[in-house]
Amino acid sequence: MHRTIIEKKPLLTRALNRFRGISRLSPTATAGVIIILFFAVLAIFSTAFMPHDPVSSYTDRILKPPSADHWFGTDGNGMDVFSRVIYGAKFGFGIAIPAVILSVVIGIPIGLIAGFRGGMLDEVLMRFFDGLRVFPSIILALAVVAATGQSLINVILVLGVLDSPVFARVVRSEVLALRNSIFVESAIAAGNPTWRILFVHLLPNSIQGAMAQTAVRAAWAVRISATLAFLGVGIQAPTPEWGAMIRQGAEFMITGQWWVAIFPGVALIFLVFGLNLFGDGIQDILDPRRRVEK
Amino acid sequence: MNLTSFLIRRAFMVIPLLVGVVFFTFMLVRVGGLDPVGLLAGPTATAEEFTMIRAELGLDQPLWKQFLIYAGNVIQGDLGESWLSNRPVLDDIAARAVISLELLFWGVGIGTFVGVPIGLRAAFNPNGRFDQSARILSLFGFSIPTYWLGLVMLFVFFYLLRWAPPGMGRISLMISSPDFVTGSYFIDSLVAGDWKAAHSSLSHLILPVTCLAIVSAAPIIKQTRAIALEVLSSDAVRYARACGLKPKTVRKIVFRNSATPVLTFIGTEITGLVGTMSLIEYVFAWGGLGQYGLNAIVRGDFTAVQGYVLVLALFSVLVFLIVDIVVAMIEPRIELN
Amino acid sequence: MTLLSVSNLKTHFIFRDIDNQFREAKALNKVSLSLDAGRILGIVGETGAGKSLTAQSICGLLRPPAKIVGGTIQFDGQDLLSLSEDELNKVRGADISMVVQNPRSSLDPLTRIGDQLVRIHQTHTGGPIKTSRRKAIEMMEAVGFSDPEQRKNAWPHELSGGMAQRVLIAMALMNEPKLLIADEPTTGLDVTVQAQILDLLKDLVSQFNMATMIITHDLGIVAHYCDEVAVMFAGEIIEQGSVQDVFLSSAHPYTQSLLASTPEKLRLGSKATVTRSPPDLFNLPQGCLSQDRCEISTELCKTTPPFQKISRLHSARCHFANSKETQSKVNMEVDIEGSRKTPND
Repeated sequence: MHRTIIEKKPLLTRALNRFRGISRLSPTATAGVIIILFFAVLAIFSTAFMPHDPVSSYTDRILKPPSADHWFGTDGNGMDVFSRVIYGAKFGFGIAIPAVILSVVIGIPIGLIAGFRGGMLDEVLMRFFDGLRVFPSIILALAVVAATGQSLINVILVLGVLDSPVFARVVRSEVLALRNSIFVESAIAAGNPTWRILFVHLLPNSIQGAMAQTAVRAAWAVRISATLAFLGVGIQAPTPEWGAMIRQGAEFMITGQWWVAIFPGVALIFLVFGLNLFGDGIQDILDPRRRVEK
Repeated sequence: MNLTSFLIRRAFMVIPLLVGVVFFTFMLVRVGGLDPVGLLAGPTATAEEFTMIRAELGLDQPLWKQFLIYAGNVIQGDLGESWLSNRPVLDDIAARAVISLELLFWGVGIGTFVGVPIGLRAAFNPNGRFDQSARILSLFGFSIPTYWLGLVMLFVFFYLLRWAPPGMGRISLMISSPDFVTGSYFIDSLVAGDWKAAHSSLSHLILPVTCLAIVSAAPIIKQTRAIALEVLSSDAVRYARACGLKPKTVRKIVFRNSATPVLTFIGTEITGLVGTMSLIEYVFAWGGLGQYGLNAIVRGDFTAVQGYVLVLALFSVLVFLIVDIVVAMIEPRIELN
Repeated sequence: MTLLSVSNLKTHFIFRDIDNQFREAKALNKVSLSLDAGRILGIVGETGAGKSLTAQSICGLLRPPAKIVGGTIQFDGQDLLSLSEDELNKVRGADISMVVQNPRSSLDPLTRIGDQLVRIHQTHTGGPIKTSRRKAIEMMEAVGFSDPEQRKNAWPHELSGGMAQRVLIAMALMNEPKLLIADEPTTGLDVTVQAQILDLLKDLVSQFNMATMIITHDLGIVAHYCDEVAVMFAGEIIEQGSVQDVFLSSAHPYTQSLLASTPEKLRLGSKATVTRSPPDLFNLPQGCLSQDRCEISTELCKTTPPFQKISRLHSARCHFANSKETQSKVNMEVDIEGSRKTPND
């Protein structure tokens, strides 16, 4: 009755303000998004950015240091490192996105069911997941990929499966908290079938934590796939994947041809860093406890 | 405080886990299409030789029998024979375990020693300049590939600056290793009074340890900060402030209440850090368990892989147990009985 | 002798929201109250009225984004708002003590309760440890521990809610405070324990002649244990006076509806509306803050109502405070002295 009416500013101003508000709330998230977008552009429009073909070798220019023609120099096969680094961005996203999607698709239903049903199923699942924690994830991924065959698809599958417990756990704890709430009880009383309760009622309310995790898990996926490639498992030369490139360049590090291994590493660092920044910032925004007021 | 009964209770809880672990490592190697017989026999083997080798490896038995045999062997301490080295896996592992332990101890130790205070200090001035730099640094540390870091360090400190020795092994090739006391070249040479060996082994230690310290500090900083922040906003700290306790006292309260969760966290981190350590060993040719295991995996030495993964898992279980015991001793809220 | 005098205290929450707009919530609007030594003041109001915030403002325990933006707080001749953080810290726990909600989680879980008592004494009063230890035992006896020598070694998690609250009271009294602030001291405790704690508090208050402020949403507690009462709504004190005056002849429509909404009254057939939405502190109305939910509000209410004096100690912030129609629309039949009617039936 006596309220002052808030004027609606034009859409663009409001959008800009929302953006500024979010970046003030979490500069890390904004910085992360910028970095991720940068690499995404590189990955999608790589042909526009690559001065040379990433897999053709110039046999007359082996191991040349960075120059005007080859910004990042050439590697042991005479291939242009710069173009290969840019092309490698495709692998970063190409592996991380499907792997995380797989983890989410596997982990979230498991978390929902385990949290909702409880009982024996929940116990067994959680024990199993807890048991997995005694193995270092890198070693586990390495062993499984090495055992099951070294292809790109395999890497994606293994990473996707190995990371699903994280999502399962997060969703499960949220479901446990919601399980006894009124709206769930009324949904049950109304006779909804279980799957409906899980996916229509519980899912939207328990998904927040899981969503916040996706960026961080994507960062992990990028890291591990590069590590696998570095060890010679999963992806091999001459594929221009960053980990494989570091592997190639390793022997040249101590003979002074630093550019072969350093540049792919730098690119790797920044993509993973961007994903981690974004993930950290999102977690800050979504979980008010973590946010510290100034 | 009855330590023995606590231990016995925990041991019982851990046994199903151990069985699961043995089963898991057993299945791990058999899950894929790798044919160990093919690798062992080589391309020129005849069909008869295949069958012979298969029988020798026990692969002609049904799976469950194989598992029982394997489990039985494990309990007796027989982890099979590595086809790469033709030696019992147990011997190979035992020789290298202590070597890795040295690297792990120093690396994670320094990482904790540096990381925990940084995390604590960041929590006390949230969103201040120190905090923001600490957070960025820690996120950055999460993003650096360990092996790449090792390579870069070798490049800078060995190739460019000639300060560090080449990344090969734990002691210069021209210096003889000290007599065995603990297995750590550094400590053993100090014990023997062999300064040259001590200097050499120390210089070989520095780079890999620094690498591991940097990579382990990142999660420690992040989690210590998060834990300290939670403690700082807890009822107990708010009340302590309401009581007018001196800031120094309040800080002490925060530290002590953060100790248990931080300790527990580091315990769980060690599992992952063992994996990282293996990569560092690989890059620096450290000759420890990690390098052994990675090589075994990549080359398909499946008995060695079984043994390696099993030992790693057992180590993690041991670490968890130790952390639980320490926590139970310092926490009045947990009864040892 | 007036020990504590708060005038026109304004505490606001200032921050920028997700749309990058400045938001200011006026959580305390010109709160004024005074308290003499030996008197017990009850502060009541619904959740979010600003009761705890008042206590936190007085003690300097506000957490960002809350800030004191106006007013004065005079305590024992000092202006608390002009003190530095260190100086304020010396006052807290010594001259002004707080007893808080959630006693079990407020005690330091890693220190034995005896040591915590000694610690707070050593911080403010100092002296030889032996004296502190002796005093700790004394205080534990005073709050009702039957075997202090033994119990002083207990850990906080070993105590029940009631025992822990007694420890908090002991902690508050270690340095012989002049002002004791109890913020929801019995919320969450068993009903039988509540009465014990409050009886204990009342005894100690008269023993030590402390000024006391009890913050609660429970009118029954105020009725039984307090001398004076201040009713808060939307960050304002809308009525204050002695408990008799305010409860028996309340002059403000909001107080009357509060009184009418107690379980006792509802059972006796009062027709109070129980559903109301809390005031929006970002968008307070012009004039009287409770006009949106008041039965007798008129155009006049759009101007700020002054504090109308009804009797020497009794005043209310309403244009119609002194008119006959608003006087005691509802009768409250509660024994103020004597009978031990438990607050929550």
